[in-house]
Amino acid sequence: MPDDQTASTRSASVLCIEDEHFISELYARALTKAGYTVTVELDGQKGLELAQTDQFDIILLDLMIPTMTGIEVLKQLRDADATPHLHSKIIITTNLEQRDEVRADIEKQADGYLVKAEITPRELVEFLSHLDA
Amino acid sequence: MEYLHKFTGQIRTRLFAIIILDNFIFLADWFLTDKVMHLNGYMLLAAIVVVPVLTLTLLPWLSTRYLAQPTKLIAEAILHIAPDAPNPVPAPNPNSAHFGKELVANLVHDVYQLATIADQATKAKAADSELQANFIIGNLPLPLLLLDAKQTIVYANEAAAKYLNLLPADMTGKEVYAIMDMSFPSEQTFDTWLSDVREHNATATNAWERVRLNPTDTRPRQLFDLAAYYNKDNSNNIETILVLFDHTKAYSQDDQAISFIALSVHELRTPLTLLRGYIEAFEDEFAGKLSPEMNDFMFKMSATAQQLTAFVNNILNVARVDDDQLVLELHEEQWGEVVRSAANNLALRAKVRGITLEYSIAPNLPTVGVDRVSIMEVINNLVDNAIKYSGKATRIRIAAALNSEGLVETTVQDFGVGIPANIIPNLFTKFYRDHHNRAQIGGTGLGLYLSRAIITAHGGNIWVKSKVGEGSIFGFTLQPYAKLADEVKNSDNKEIVRGAHGWIKNHSLYRR
Repeated sequence: MPDDQTASTRSASVLCIEDEHFISELYARALTKAGYTVTVELDGQKGLELAQTDQFDIILLDLMIPTMTGIEVLKQLRDADATPHLHSKIIITTNLEQRDEVRADIEKQADGYLVKAEITPRELVEFLSHLDA
Repeated sequence: MEYLHKFTGQIRTRLFAIIILDNFIFLADWFLTDKVMHLNGYMLLAAIVVVPVLTLTLLPWLSTRYLAQPTKLIAEAILHIAPDAPNPVPAPNPNSAHFGKELVANLVHDVYQLATIADQATKAKAADSELQANFIIGNLPLPLLLLDAKQTIVYANEAAAKYLNLLPADMTGKEVYAIMDMSFPSEQTFDTWLSDVREHNATATNAWERVRLNPTDTRPRQLFDLAAYYNKDNSNNIETILVLFDHTKAYSQDDQAISFIALSVHELRTPLTLLRGYIEAFEDEFAGKLSPEMNDFMFKMSATAQQLTAFVNNILNVARVDDDQLVLELHEEQWGEVVRSAANNLALRAKVRGITLEYSIAPNLPTVGVDRVSIMEVINNLVDNAIKYSGKATRIRIAAALNSEGLVETTVQDFGVGIPANIIPNLFTKFYRDHHNRAQIGGTGLGLYLSRAIITAHGGNIWVKSKVGEGSIFGFTLQPYAKLADEVKNSDNKEIVRGAHGWIKNHSLYRR
């Protein structure tokens, strides 16, 4: 199956929307080493525009980002009118504790959830390898 | 009764007075008649001499005739109505007495009348004091509860109702635990104390500090000191009296301190993650290329960063526990694998201290239902403690087996300094650490408190056995997954498979 092919060769593309430079640097490095192509964007609005081009298999989305929150980006990407036919998997990356209603939104709309403070780059790579492509 | 004794005395005095007076009136009457007045001095002298002589000789006779019999009769009357008469005396019949019929009859009548009045007075007094007691208890600003032998609330005062945000009528007849969900800071709870004193004492009192009342609704949590008075043979079916002293304001300051620390510590998480990330990058780049010494440094750096991460997580979790925000996602896990994986993270830290971790994990353990992140923190805390308190010992034993109750029991044993018996009961208390060791051994005193909270939330128990100079064993139990499965009904999350540090929404199992 082509999907399996993609996953096993790790040529999938990742968009990392993250304003913490050190984090994105570490993630980009680890993911690149693992065979992913990585694009980093630190601004919410620009990140959304990039994501809407639908050229990424995986989107790592931080919640605390400039110009537009991660939750808004997530809602726009999952809104069929604003972003039709998005095939990307969206993984929320955050350190924040979520209020219940936000948590429910994330559980409904995102494909994964990661606590950055509890995961090292190596573990991120392993985590993503379990995603259905 | 006191009252009755008093008035028996009064009647006796009255009786004597009447009898003596009666005699003298009779004599005086005789002397003072005209006939006597005309007697000469000799006669008068004789009369004066004769009267005492006569009186003296007559007195025994008089006393038998006028005193002993009627007094006996009256004493009988009093005994008859006395509430605590040893043997009920038959009711006296004053009319059958030979002498002084009227007098005695009157007196006995008096006794009955007085007794009736006294009885009414006592009753009125009792009713009055009951009224007074009710008034005092009812208006006591301290919450007060009276419990019977089944720990059912017999009475709750206004203050208790107000404190628990209930109506007094909603409280009486209910089991105290149904109304008050209390958390005690140490092993000895009200319940364990009560079952202990029931066996050994007729009466007992005890007090607890920092008891937590877990609210059943959205109201903030209350903290108080609790005083209990136990009396096995108390009247009115009351076995235990509870008094609550609210200290919510004072005690929650500590909690606020924790919240503040948690807020600050939260900011440490990102830099820490970065540090660990970069260390990891180093390890990747330089694997096999470093000198043994540099390798060792890298190793220690990594272990230290991990330790700091564990510390930060502890603080944050305590804040969550105190805030009732500790959410567990229980999933089926292979326990041996979880234990090894948790302990592996610590092997590094142990190695730095020259300690080896030994495992003894029983084969074919049933799977357990655990929240992986939280339960790993428990193992982390226990092993970390074992490392800290190992002293010169060089090994720590980690074991897991099925116990006699069918629970999965895990133990962490060190061979170090041990814990004095007197501090063991406080060990799982927040901020508690052995004061003697405080200077030498670092730590927040939160690890065991947190571990207990997590294990309790899993439906297990945590315990410790220790001997000074020989070391300590900390153990905890977990329920097999099969037992928990019925309780875990989280249909909403069926599609979400949770991992140690996040979740992925699909069907490929994310298990590490």
